[in-house]
Amino acid sequence: MSSWLLDRILGFAAKPAFAGESGVVTYGELHALVVKARAALAQLRLDRPTAFGLVGEHGPASTAWLLVLAEAGHYVAPLSGNPAEHPAKLAVIHAQWVVVVEGLEWKLLPRVDEPSNHPLFAQLREQGAPGLILFSSGTSGVPKAMVQDFGKLLASYASRRASDLSMLALLGFDHIGGLNTLFNTLAGGALLAVPASRAPADVAATIARHRVAILPASPTFLNLLLAAGVTAKLASLRVITYGAEPMPEALLARLKATFPRARLIQTFGTSETGITRTESPEAGSTFLRFEDPNLEWKVIDDELWLRSRTQIAGYLNASNERFTADGWFRTGDKVEQGPDGTLRILGRMGEMINVGGEKLMPAEVEAVVLGVAGVADCRVRGEPHALTGQTVVVDVVSTQADQEALRSGIRTACRERLARHKVPTRVTFVPSVSGERLKKLRSEPAR
Amino acid sequence: MLTREQALALVLRRLALLGKELGKPALEQADEQTRLFGEAAALDSIGLVTLIADLEEDIRVATGKTVFLADEKAMSRLTSPFRRTGLLAEYVVEIVGR
Repeated sequence: MSSWLLDRILGFAAKPAFAGESGVVTYGELHALVVKARAALAQLRLDRPTAFGLVGEHGPASTAWLLVLAEAGHYVAPLSGNPAEHPAKLAVIHAQWVVVVEGLEWKLLPRVDEPSNHPLFAQLREQGAPGLILFSSGTSGVPKAMVQDFGKLLASYASRRASDLSMLALLGFDHIGGLNTLFNTLAGGALLAVPASRAPADVAATIARHRVAILPASPTFLNLLLAAGVTAKLASLRVITYGAEPMPEALLARLKATFPRARLIQTFGTSETGITRTESPEAGSTFLRFEDPNLEWKVIDDELWLRSRTQIAGYLNASNERFTADGWFRTGDKVEQGPDGTLRILGRMGEMINVGGEKLMPAEVEAVVLGVAGVADCRVRGEPHALTGQTVVVDVVSTQADQEALRSGIRTACRERLARHKVPTRVTFVPSVSGERLKKLRSEPAR
Repeated sequence: MLTREQALALVLRRLALLGKELGKPALEQADEQTRLFGEAAALDSIGLVTLIADLEEDIRVATGKTVFLADEKAMSRLTSPFRRTGLLAEYVVEIVGR
């Protein structure tokens, strides 16, 4: 359960815990909120594990409720971002109560619904375990509700040592990556700095103001950060972690040149199996090696399979076919195996583009296109084509006025470095790019 | 609307630019008899798809119309419009006129 973490929070009392729109809040003040939330929960006189929606963004009050609900063995779904998505999610979990957090305050709203009799909840009840429910975008557009043993997840942070390196909360309170940052911060007694929005300028201002040392991000966000011209404000960064999508080599090289004092660490995570620390065989390599005793991995037909101690019990509202009977999770990530147990993430299995029988992954083309002067960002995709089955199309966000020259420059660079079938035939210029692989960051509205 | 002459000018200009990009200077001297694709032709399939994509963009800029030059109809013609520059120009006129 979460008692060890609550004890630890009390021990860090004088240290700052959160910095954000409601100012700086210490661990002592966080603990006072925990006590207050615990009392409010007791007044509900719940006699059985109950499903809660917890509406809020990163902050002390939302964190207090998360920990109190875990302590009491309830099931909690953190809900952030666009409120229009919340009712459907509350219905999926048959929430009985909704905690709406605003600043340091909250409202407790009852919700009329029958408690869920889903076997996944029954399983948690039998084990006396609290539940955490997170949502991921399903391919059909319906969010998939993932249930896991919250106590086990929290316990995985118990070995985290005390740290004074403050972290930035880039991913949301409803996202496994955002929660991973939160629990790492709390378990180490560090400061979590919450930016006003995820716009690069706001993030840079927050990093400068609170001398943030650790920035967990994605390659796309880091690319935007470089493009925004705000790197002078980022001198306090000591560690930059990146994950969620393949890292183009050209971008990694630019990051190393821009942040010579920061360590660049690749992380790997799925909502289903949790976030894992990895090591690179050498600095600047896009290969990684899993360094996690709680995680097993294997590669089957170029697809990465994972089995972890903190993985979800299953989906409430989707088929569990991506889990095998013996507990392996098929990630859908296509990987390449290097020497000495290393791996490189190539992209999503479903993203493969097939040009006249010859295959490629978007990431390898994106890596080249991003290296072309005048390209701020890009997204490579396959388009049906009557001539070749599919053809390679690249959407480019450009910083250059002469599009004709840039189009030719992009194709020339690709021709020099890639097989013929991988060269984009169509180069389109767009104001911004979005896509399946990048959706984790982009789908979340600015706060 | 495009005339045959205008369409041919678009095709030849595009082919010349692509020739420069591909390092095939002969394409800069192309005329309406130049073979595009197939036997003894200047382009491979990727080259042809590239030419078509660029032409579609040119047509959009010139006429405001979004057209797809390569579709099943084009592919199933007895005489492929992608065989020679002149045939492609005529096909462009036809597609834009639809």
